[in-house]
Amino acid sequence: MITGCGVVSPLGTGLRPFWQGLVAGRSAVQPIAGFRADDLEPRAAAEVRDVPRTDLDRAGAFALEAATQALADAGLDPPSVDPGRLAVALGTTLGGMRLFERWLDGDAVDEIERVPYYAPAVRVARALGCGGPVATLQLACASGTQAIALAADWVRTGRTDVVLAGGADLLCRFVVAGFNCLRATAEEARPFDAARRGLVLGEGGAVVVVEDAAHAARRGARLRGSVLGVGAAADATHMTAPDREGRGAARAIEAALADAGLTPARIGFVSAHGTGTPYNDAMEAVAITRVFGPRNVPVNSIKGAIGHTLGAAGAFEAVLCLQVLAEGLVPPTAGLATPDPACAGLDLVYGEPRSHAADAAVSTSSGFAGVNAALVLGRAG
Amino acid sequence: MSLAVAVTGAGTVVQDADDSRSRHASGALVIGPDGSVPLGHLPEGVRARAVRAERVTQLLLAAGDRAINGAGIAAPETRVGIVVGTAFGCFLTNAAYQRRLAAEGPAGASPRLFAATVSNAAAGELAIAYRLAGPSVTVSAGAASGLAALGEAVEVLRAGRADVVVAGGVDALGGALADWLTAAGLSFGAPPVEAAAALVLERPGRVRAELGRIAGHAIGFEPDPAGPAAGGGLAGAIAAACADAALSPPEIAVVVSATPPALVALETRALVATVGACQPRRTKPALAATGPLGLLAALGEAKPGVPVLVLDVCPSGHVAALVAWTREAA
Repeated sequence: MITGCGVVSPLGTGLRPFWQGLVAGRSAVQPIAGFRADDLEPRAAAEVRDVPRTDLDRAGAFALEAATQALADAGLDPPSVDPGRLAVALGTTLGGMRLFERWLDGDAVDEIERVPYYAPAVRVARALGCGGPVATLQLACASGTQAIALAADWVRTGRTDVVLAGGADLLCRFVVAGFNCLRATAEEARPFDAARRGLVLGEGGAVVVVEDAAHAARRGARLRGSVLGVGAAADATHMTAPDREGRGAARAIEAALADAGLTPARIGFVSAHGTGTPYNDAMEAVAITRVFGPRNVPVNSIKGAIGHTLGAAGAFEAVLCLQVLAEGLVPPTAGLATPDPACAGLDLVYGEPRSHAADAAVSTSSGFAGVNAALVLGRAG
Repeated sequence: MSLAVAVTGAGTVVQDADDSRSRHASGALVIGPDGSVPLGHLPEGVRARAVRAERVTQLLLAAGDRAINGAGIAAPETRVGIVVGTAFGCFLTNAAYQRRLAAEGPAGASPRLFAATVSNAAAGELAIAYRLAGPSVTVSAGAASGLAALGEAVEVLRAGRADVVVAGGVDALGGALADWLTAAGLSFGAPPVEAAAALVLERPGRVRAELGRIAGHAIGFEPDPAGPAAGGGLAGAIAAACADAALSPPEIAVVVSATPPALVALETRALVATVGACQPRRTKPALAATGPLGLLAALGEAKPGVPVLVLDVCPSGHVAALVAWTREAA
């Protein structure tokens, strides 16, 4: 069961501003202000504006804030949980990269131990007194999705009662220059649009509380939804380009559906990875159409609104799915005006939000090195 | 009782030919005196990719090839998964990329290097090289990453998400990482050695030969590993791993660990609370490869048909425990 959500997003901190911004079709993409970017091209990104920049461990700060929110949303006070049954599963692709940049430049860096990828999870675990499993998932842009999948597995197999699961990533010169040099970026994110040119990076953190059903029932917890199934598969074709036929992405979705015991017809919404790069979106159109058939299920992408938040993306999209199921409303795909004919198999939601009741949703993520991961999420009640 | 998983292949790369952990059935590859990773055994196409790859990928390809060939994987490619544990992943690549970016500006940003600045690059290269298209997971839990990966691989098999999983731990060492370890005060007692260990894991019953079986696993966390009361996280992990293996902790015959001296008191408290007073067999720290190498050493050295407990304890607070059975006597 999922009993709490916490969000630190470029649209605002907290579930409400995140959701309201998505429903309004708002984009948080702006010129980069948080670090030197005058020599970067493109230089637009979706930054978190309401978390102080004085904390250079931004991913850790995002993760801790999102985890704290999620616990409060779940009505959980850490001391009320057996520490050995309280766990953390986080995805990130950059970890303490701002600290790393400074340290490598020869600057004195406080809290240098927060450089590694595992550091945000350690920060959360120490702050909240977790004594159960603590792991960092490293599946590039599918990290957040796989973190929630691992959390669900831990709870299902009785390894723990409560997991803070999600992802956090930050913007910095390292990553913006990197995606720019791959020619994967654009000034505007336009997922699935005929005129899309590339992705726009974002930052933030999203964490959900994955909780054992009996544990949640004993304390009378309000449910936000459930993880019904998880799946993963590799392309095994190319390090940076997705398989054009979307075979790995389709197999990950199919595996998650099989894990949930659901047919594709039972899925009422798909949150696409939808980065806005020509190859990714075309690949996903093939994969989603292959699994669900042409135009059978509403699809959107939130990367036009909050950018591509890398290791956090899948966690944001899991929260999105829970909100879509709870509210019966699918936010529009910000940045999408004219769907690419190559994506004609998708029933894309754009322009306006769409009222749409559904019991289950799929979130799909893909990343460098050919990784794919998918979640099936269920509506509460 | 949860399913025990068979270890059917192993490949390792170590720095020291005399390292006792090289005494597993498949032998070990040894890093050259000039620091070169042994790649000569790789098939030509794989070797060509490996030569161009970053060091952590080279280490995993070298070990993975040996493990895959030793096991003789017969499953369809979509039924073979990969789970890799790494403490620091692409740290050295990050440093190389960032230094050029800092020195030359965005014009110095290298697409080749940037593409390898994801910690799952090594797993991705292994997947491409051997057409392994099942689930691919890379996990980091500090120096407990290797055992965490083996545990996750066991769960992939138990859940039926793959028929075979290539799993293990790898970390590349070098100047930038050594400097950072010193600056961060992350002490392992002895300087960690560079190593990779890849194991092939399969559901029992369909395998030709086994090196042993993994019966239980767990990871945990010590919020204050240097504190006087630390040990609860590791004790919990030991108890959970033993329960997973349907064993009572005192039944453990051999304990293997590379716990840093500063954390031995923590480990002792955890062992006394679970297994009982005992003297673990000490191995060298090798970051994420520590646990998998310790497991292979135990499977090769301990008496036939006994349960062994392998521990990883990292100054970061990450801990892991894994219970395995040595191969029955012929």
